[in-house]
Amino acid sequence: MNFRHDILPLKNIVFRTALRIVLNREEAEDIVQDTLVKLWERREKLDKVENLEAFALTMARNLALDWKEKMDNQHVSFDDEAHDRLDENTNSADKMLAQKETTGAIARIINSLPEKQRTIIQLRDIEGKTYQEIANTLSISESDVKVTLFRARQAMKEKILQKKSFFL
Amino acid sequence: MDYKYIEQLIESYFACTTTLQEEQILRSFFSQEDVPAHLAQYASLFNYETAAKEDVLSEDFDERIMSQIETAETKAEEAKKPRIIKLAARSLAERRFLGISPQVFTPFFKAAAVVAIALTIGRAAEHAIGEQEAEEKSNVVAVDPYIKTNDVQQAIRVKDVSQAEMKATNDSIINIATKDEIQ
Repeated sequence: MNFRHDILPLKNIVFRTALRIVLNREEAEDIVQDTLVKLWERREKLDKVENLEAFALTMARNLALDWKEKMDNQHVSFDDEAHDRLDENTNSADKMLAQKETTGAIARIINSLPEKQRTIIQLRDIEGKTYQEIANTLSISESDVKVTLFRARQAMKEKILQKKSFFL
Repeated sequence: MDYKYIEQLIESYFACTTTLQEEQILRSFFSQEDVPAHLAQYASLFNYETAAKEDVLSEDFDERIMSQIETAETKAEEAKKPRIIKLAARSLAERRFLGISPQVFTPFFKAAAVVAIALTIGRAAEHAIGEQEAEEKSNVVAVDPYIKTNDVQQAIRVKDVSQAEMKATNDSIINIATKDEIQ
């Protein structure tokens, strides 16, 4: 097990997945750091792990959910704050990426979904993972993945059609 | 141009019956410049999916995490190094238990302990040294008071084994010699 070759390459997928949960770039970056260091500390036990990427994503998601829970317990209005920050993030990111206001709107639609739905959208539609890999990462059944993805895509479709003129 | 296939894929996409490949086809289709008007409302969705995968960590991340990993490594290395436990480090409670007044007897106690350890190790080593002469090296090692008792015992065990082996070899040589004589 070599850190630079085996663990470090996971950084960006771990980052994007954590970011989709915490909706805060700084926190997502801290989670990536924690996840990769923990993986490295456990490197001797990682030979038994079938899918290192899914394992890393599960760890990162758990850290992200812990952070979110902590924020909720501190009575920080997570959604409002997250949305403010999110607008900043998506605006700057989108100017770079697609230079379109409408993609920013899509980001907001996805990020307003419940955590499980947006994480599944992230893993399926952005990272291109199979249902099996997603089920493995989230420790749920494949049919649960499909049902949740279905709800998420339906919600996205509905919101896009509501604002159809905006997206045209 | 007929967009039946794409329309069908879009429908399947929202019904969650598309494969990963078909979803990739949709993303590729919408990445082109001329998307027909009746499908244009979905362009942002699929273009966002493509673009979002390009979101990466800041450039200085590698440097920061590598230094963190290296620090952790150094700490782990240091933890692995054997520590010499000094006699002076005995706790007060322990000294009281032994009935020694710490102020007066500590130096004597230290000296006595060092002598005792040296004697014990020396005797153990002496005992192990048989008639063989090749023991000089390990003798020196065994007298070193800093060496761990375990190591000495290990050395003794190895020595015993080698002695036994030597004997066995000698015996077999004698056997062969005897056989030769008989023949």
